[in-house]
Amino acid sequence: MRKITRYIFFVMLVALPALAQESPYFVTYDHHLEEPGNLEIETQSNAGFPRHGEPSYFAPYIELEYGFTTRWTSELYLEGQSRSGDSTVFTGWRLENRFRPLAAEHRINPILYFEYENLNEASRIQKETPGHATEFDVPNSESRHIRAHELETKLILSSNVHDWNIAENFIAEKNLSHNEGVEFGYSFGVSRPLGTIASAANCHLCRENFIAGAELFGGLGSTKGFGFHDTTHYFAPALSWQVNNNSSLRFSPAIGLTSKSAAVLLRFGYSYEIRGFKDKIASLFRGAK
Amino acid sequence: MTLRAAITKKRFWNIFVLIVSTVLVGIAMGQNLTYQQDPGWQPPQAAIARANPLARNADAVGGGRKLFLRECTECHGREGNGRKRAADLVLPQVQKQSDGALFWKITNGNARHGMPSFAKLPELQRWQLVLFLRQLPLSASTAAPVEKE
Repeated sequence: MRKITRYIFFVMLVALPALAQESPYFVTYDHHLEEPGNLEIETQSNAGFPRHGEPSYFAPYIELEYGFTTRWTSELYLEGQSRSGDSTVFTGWRLENRFRPLAAEHRINPILYFEYENLNEASRIQKETPGHATEFDVPNSESRHIRAHELETKLILSSNVHDWNIAENFIAEKNLSHNEGVEFGYSFGVSRPLGTIASAANCHLCRENFIAGAELFGGLGSTKGFGFHDTTHYFAPALSWQVNNNSSLRFSPAIGLTSKSAAVLLRFGYSYEIRGFKDKIASLFRGAK
Repeated sequence: MTLRAAITKKRFWNIFVLIVSTVLVGIAMGQNLTYQQDPGWQPPQAAIARANPLARNADAVGGGRKLFLRECTECHGREGNGRKRAADLVLPQVQKQSDGALFWKITNGNARHGMPSFAKLPELQRWQLVLFLRQLPLSASTAAPVEKE
């Protein structure tokens, strides 16, 4: 078993590089799925600075994204949260699946998104902000005991227009643990690579390695009260940098647009892609025979 | 020539023939010679007729090569021979396709056969890939070593 663990670690270290071309978005999804057999390991964080004297928080999460087929990508999230002057807690996990109903590229490419969330109310990664604004003044010792089983769906529409990506996500979320109705949200994103032609040299700071964009996301209330009242909205410039062939960094400062929104959310992400992960694991077991 | 020298020379040629035939068999086995085109994977006429905007830009080939090594080798192999799981890009049935057809196939992928879409790459980079694909038969025939990244 130790040998297998070592091998997996080794494979992860020396895995053939892959150009992930990571989108800079943290909230919005575009229509590009993970390539089949590839595993992307991503660590991200959301640091929130609320307005009304509420304590700031830091919510890191790990994301494992795997491409099952060219039209199906699955992701597992494990998340935590640390609150200023308070404790650090594990806040739960999420399992999401994205399906691409249309095979080829179209002017507008729809993606269907389904997610199950097994969280507690201390969760602050704010992967999206549907529904109404939530209070951040409950200590972790209390909020961690309030469980929330949620189902979330998204309709993702995404287009590539002259190297610009334009993506729109429409979100509906149902908390199965509490009667909050169905909550709605949205996010829009626009991005473009800074360089559109690849240089022959392997370079780190070439323009082709950077993608800049911006996101707008927020809540639209719920079936108990649809609209902008008591909701949060953010505008977030975003930048991704392909550090080398298999890893990328992303950064996005989100600015709260309403009084209920946090003043600022600072997001940071690092991702590492293992190309041909499925084959590497398969060869491991073939070798064991 | 002494008897010993003649035997040594014969042994040398035996070893040489063995090595060459092993390499040739290896190349043949490494290639996906059984590759059959998917008849349902046909670009529209307008796409087939598109010309490569980088056709006269010889410098762009280097970038295409870099992209190929990053994006395509896992399935198509470093020499583009398909590695038994994807199209052998050196074969005539691939090379005889127009630049526009190859561009369309890179852009859209073929979901039924596990070929992902590379629309995430900027348009010019996809054309760079097409440019490099045209170099593959040349590389294969001269057996030029593929430079490591």
